[in-house]
Amino acid sequence: MAHDLGFWTLQALNALQLSMLLFLLSIGLTVIFGLMHFVNLAHGSLYALGAYFAASLASVGGYWMGFFLAPVAVAGVGVLLYSGLIKRMRKSGPMAQVLVTFGLIFAMLDLTRIFWGDLALAIEVPALLEGRLAFLGVEYPTYRLFIVALGLAILGALAFVLSRTQIGAMIRAGVDNDAMAACLGINVERLFFTVFCVGCALAGLAGAVAAPLLSVTPDMGLQILIPTLIVIVIGGLGSLRGAIAGSLIYGFVQTFGAVLAPQLSSVLIYALLAAVLVIKPVGLFPAKG
Amino acid sequence: MLETRNLDKSFGAVHVTRKVSLKLERGERRVILGPNGAGKTTLFNQLVGELTPDSGSVHLAGEDVTALPVAKRARRGLSRSYQKNTLFDGLTVEENLGLAAAVHTGHATRLWSDSLAKPEVREIVQEVAAQVNLMPYIHARVSEISYGVRRQLEVGVALATRPLVLLMDEPTSGVGPEMAKGFHDLLNNLPRDLTLLIIEHDMDLAFDVADTITVLNYGEVVFDGLPEEARGSKLLKEIYLGSWEDA
Amino acid sequence: MFRQNALRYTALVALAAGALFQAFTAEYFGLEILTEILILAMLVLALDIVAGFGGMVSLCHGALMGVGAYAYGVLSTKAGIAPPVAMAGAIAVTGAAAWVIGAVCSRSQGIYFIMATLAFGQMAYSYVFEAPIFGGDDGLGGISRLDLSFIGVDLNDSRSFALFCLAVLGAVYGAAVLILRSGLGRSLTGVMHNEQRMRALGLTVWRVKADVFGLSGMIAGLAGALAAQHILYISPGLLGWTVSGEALVIVILGGLGTLVGPLVGAAAFVLLKHELSAVTTYWHLVVGVILIAVVMSRTNGIFGWIETHWGVWIERRVADATRKQQPEEVARDA
Repeated sequence: MAHDLGFWTLQALNALQLSMLLFLLSIGLTVIFGLMHFVNLAHGSLYALGAYFAASLASVGGYWMGFFLAPVAVAGVGVLLYSGLIKRMRKSGPMAQVLVTFGLIFAMLDLTRIFWGDLALAIEVPALLEGRLAFLGVEYPTYRLFIVALGLAILGALAFVLSRTQIGAMIRAGVDNDAMAACLGINVERLFFTVFCVGCALAGLAGAVAAPLLSVTPDMGLQILIPTLIVIVIGGLGSLRGAIAGSLIYGFVQTFGAVLAPQLSSVLIYALLAAVLVIKPVGLFPAKG
Repeated sequence: MLETRNLDKSFGAVHVTRKVSLKLERGERRVILGPNGAGKTTLFNQLVGELTPDSGSVHLAGEDVTALPVAKRARRGLSRSYQKNTLFDGLTVEENLGLAAAVHTGHATRLWSDSLAKPEVREIVQEVAAQVNLMPYIHARVSEISYGVRRQLEVGVALATRPLVLLMDEPTSGVGPEMAKGFHDLLNNLPRDLTLLIIEHDMDLAFDVADTITVLNYGEVVFDGLPEEARGSKLLKEIYLGSWEDA
Repeated sequence: MFRQNALRYTALVALAAGALFQAFTAEYFGLEILTEILILAMLVLALDIVAGFGGMVSLCHGALMGVGAYAYGVLSTKAGIAPPVAMAGAIAVTGAAAWVIGAVCSRSQGIYFIMATLAFGQMAYSYVFEAPIFGGDDGLGGISRLDLSFIGVDLNDSRSFALFCLAVLGAVYGAAVLILRSGLGRSLTGVMHNEQRMRALGLTVWRVKADVFGLSGMIAGLAGALAAQHILYISPGLLGWTVSGEALVIVILGGLGTLVGPLVGAAAFVLLKHELSAVTTYWHLVVGVILIAVVMSRTNGIFGWIETHWGVWIERRVADATRKQQPEEVARDA
């Protein structure tokens, strides 16, 4: 197969765009796990919720209203979830947590159907981001470039917060050793709450920005859940670097697998996950030594 | 029976075991003394294979077992108990002992028969239960017996594999002086051909059971000899007893 | 450790009686539901063996059942192998696949084990979806049932097939009890309670996990071969992770590690699904809320709840009854 440079650039951009979307989802999930040892399988449902909120808000006040308010609305749902369920499930084992959030998936799936119906919704790409941009010799949809830029910006912002600010230091301490962090006088409960809500907001944001690319359907949360889990398991649960590495690995393997080895593409990523778990059972960048 | 040659291990900059060489004869009862952090448990972990030494070797009954995994060493006759109870919590005393005896008799992986109902397994369970005074609690679950009885079971489970060498990590840790004394009587009544290596904190209690004494300090063997010599040793007093003599 | 108690026997007898009653009185639709329950019951039994007694929470058992269904379908239609041999082949193939998965995942713990099994399940799903021999998205049709005409049973009759599945389920339950009461099953429970200690005692832990996972896979494969014969058509959807997730939900709702509980769970789940979908299209919501409520109530599922509330009472009644009848028997046991 002979491919020119433009082809590679195009595929690399596709891969990067997928990676950034997964990064927005997985960073919240992995930090929540690292801090609270809580596996929230309903994280994908929050993403779907973000897309639905964005679709509804966009039909009232245009795309940008959805873009800015959907994450806030999803964070609001996160507050409800945290105080209603998750706070009480903190002391339970991972099995119970997996099951409660599995029940949440079921419930939220039907709740979105009740509120928004079974038909797929669509959002228009905002006028500002319509069309294509010439980028490194290829024409690429502006909106997808926007997603890449947004992902990179959030990655940069999170990296700054985590490495340079006090709350970042507290989160790092908490991931490392939450009992120790509590001893150092950190209000662990409030920290958890904040992180959980930010994680939810990021999932909502991912849903809002993904909505114009896909059709918004009730099962979109289920569809994104498995890739997100693969990302954080490959990277190492609770690990920030792992979420970045896992997203990039998933995005590139998936995208390039589909064009270079279409027969194998769907099996490829699962085989990779299995291989990682066999060689390094706790992921590539485990959060703790 | 059990021998180590120049066992060395460090975690980063911390040297936890320095060129430890020990030699235990068959039936010898040796007590390892040493202050907290002297590397006693780390040494045990290397002996049974839960940790790999950086250098040096471990020999069991004349065979170099340094490269063998935990389970294989255990099947060759090396058994251990833990400082922190490591039991099968939801199960009864009988089942705890039975699981261990089943591994020893080879019934633990059979599909066609119930290991716990096998006569040879039941026989070992009865014998060990008698040895460590567990007969009155035999049908009780671990959650229903007291801490002290659990310590007995901790040693019982290790004994039920019918080991050649038994390593005991502070068998009396956390029990009162009365009970610890009883525990040492129990150890003294174990078969004489069983080789024992015991980590003990209390010196006086150690002298009850020890044929020989090894003292570790900062991962290094600083004394190796008979209990009488240890009692008089000035070096030992300085290292090990220094803290309370100062006070 | 697996313990069969009076309450469990009572529940088993009640379940068997209910199934028999349904099998002899129900019409076509009722029989289809009964068969669905019976086959699902085999799958959740297989899952309870590994999850409830070995701590191996598998999210690939649905996929294993799918492997069994496809193996039977391909062997009996494309390879033209006689159905009984194809069934044996399906059980063997699924068991072997499960053994490999169990061996590979044996080092992973907790959430990593769940994810690793999920990965293998999804791998099988994707492969079946893509490979032309399996009919891809269209699935595979033209499957025939076992021919038992030599003993005068026509399995193409719904009632006969339901009764046949009930008999197979009985055998599977017996096999599950034997596995759990074997040396292997005992060691597995030891591993669940304390893996480190079992290893220190000299047990090759990964082998035990892989062996039991393989046996559990054989049961899942059998359930799959029967599912293929039940609906006579198979599609990749059988292998999807939501099937595994539902099986896990049933085991938990029924009572993890009780063996009887998951059977209760399977019956409750299928009946609930059919009843609810008759009145509302939002039956997932109801199931989700029930699941959350059960887990948050911290009981061990429906059966666990019954055991904590009624177990002692029934145990005492049965003990009283047996003491009156056979005093010497009780004395010997004590």
